[in-house]
Amino acid sequence: MNEQPLGVLIVEDEALLAAELGFLLEEAGCRPLGHAMRSDEAVAMAHKLSPDLALVDVHLGDGPTGVDVARRIHDDCGVVALFMTANVKRLPDDFAGACGVIGKPYSGHGVKMALAYLEVCMREGVAPGPAPVGMTLSPAYARLWGLSDQPRAV
Amino acid sequence: MLRNRNSRPDRALWPAGIADGGSGRHMTDNSQSLRAAEALASGHGSEDPFAAAIRADRMATIITDATQADHPIVFANDAFLRLTGYGRDEVIGRNCRFLQGVDTDPLERARLRAAISAGQDITCELLNYRKDGSTFWNALYLSPVHDGHGAITHFIGSQLDISDKKRLELQWNERQNSLEQLVADRTRDLTQALEQKTTLLHEVDHRVKNNLQLISSLLLLQNRRVSDPAVKDALRGMLERVNAIATVHRRLFQSEDVERFDVSAFVRDLVSDMMGSSARTDILFRLDLERVDVAASKAAPLALIVNELLSNALRHGFPHGQPGQIFVGIGRINGDFRIEIADDGVGMPNAAKSSGFGLTIIQLLCQQLKARCETSDAQPGTRVVIHLPINAAHP
Repeated sequence: MNEQPLGVLIVEDEALLAAELGFLLEEAGCRPLGHAMRSDEAVAMAHKLSPDLALVDVHLGDGPTGVDVARRIHDDCGVVALFMTANVKRLPDDFAGACGVIGKPYSGHGVKMALAYLEVCMREGVAPGPAPVGMTLSPAYARLWGLSDQPRAV
Repeated sequence: MLRNRNSRPDRALWPAGIADGGSGRHMTDNSQSLRAAEALASGHGSEDPFAAAIRADRMATIITDATQADHPIVFANDAFLRLTGYGRDEVIGRNCRFLQGVDTDPLERARLRAAISAGQDITCELLNYRKDGSTFWNALYLSPVHDGHGAITHFIGSQLDISDKKRLELQWNERQNSLEQLVADRTRDLTQALEQKTTLLHEVDHRVKNNLQLISSLLLLQNRRVSDPAVKDALRGMLERVNAIATVHRRLFQSEDVERFDVSAFVRDLVSDMMGSSARTDILFRLDLERVDVAASKAAPLALIVNELLSNALRHGFPHGQPGQIFVGIGRINGDFRIEIADDGVGMPNAAKSSGFGLTIIQLLCQQLKARCETSDAQPGTRVVIHLPINAAHP
């Protein structure tokens, strides 16, 4: 790959999930930059590491603060956030500025497909097609990447 | 009953015998009312049967003089005196508002005043006060009496004690209100209970999904550590099974109906995932999926069976990079759900020994679902058909 690999921040309070996700990111050709378990860590690391993408769980070590994290790192650092949560229906309608969501439980293959898809979207500025199975784009990013609004449920 | 609306004055009833009241102690101009009362009475002596009827009527009746300021009472029959507890000399010359008190509805009083100023008849219900201070509900019917030129000379008012009816009405309203309150309270309680249950359901769903994610992460992490191909294979098999159950859970709560499970939608998800993770681009999948719903309780066992069959076909049907095709068909036939998974691979006798554990899982779960599993030679390849009785799918 001649492009710079995506630098990815993992925001997840389950250590085992985060560890496995780190391996998955490497297999997918991404560069895991770090792992935050709480909202304050996540925001600080986003400032310091300037990731291209942040994978954000909604429930973190300090409570259901993932939505706030997504909004802050998007607004303050321009980081593209992707939620990874079992509570897809609880996300705000505007996805708090995040580009979309992968529902838990996800499969390794599902995450890799989503990463490859997002990599193209972010590099080209245009989606190569509809989001892969298991992933939903936010209305704002669907428009940004040239797709009409998608229904919330996949 | 005397309802002299629009009656001509010459046909109006001027009762007599009211001159015995009026001692002059109520008002300074009482004498004028007394004169008016006498004038009224003089035209309607004891020989007047209509006047006699009003005097003896059980309906409380008064007549007021509309030509005087503040319309004083110039006649009150015995029934009126019995109803209110006043003596005749205490009412003649007074405006009848002395019957009203603090709890008399001001709106109803305003309506009465408006009707009198407009010279119209009116029916109203007023809380009135007796001489002893006790109250009664008065259904008042008031109508004007005109002279030959159409000018109003008197008002005639009849009073009916409707306290019993009012009490029943109040009781009824109270009962109605308390019932409505009861229903509102109950509805609020139930709504709250439902919200709590829904929150709990979401919480449990959330935990189930997170735990499934955790289990699959554990298996993946261990799989990265071991090097023995047999152990890797076993772990991968377990991971696929956990993924199949995880896919079921993702699907289960996506739909509004948590009782039913769409098997075809599940198979579409599972095939896409398996196809992707196998990295076997040389194997084509062909799907013929009719929407088939089963009870949610059957979803996981059915998903595990489909997973084993697909995994078998994918792993053992096409060894050494042999290309081919896997067909998955779901539909209804003769009252059964029919799930077919067929490959055009090397076929059973030539396939590498498939996992004994996988076959055990299929056998056990078919038994559990009361399903029939038929394996045949697809020439080339293998065809497995699962027949699931509809009554087993819909318990």
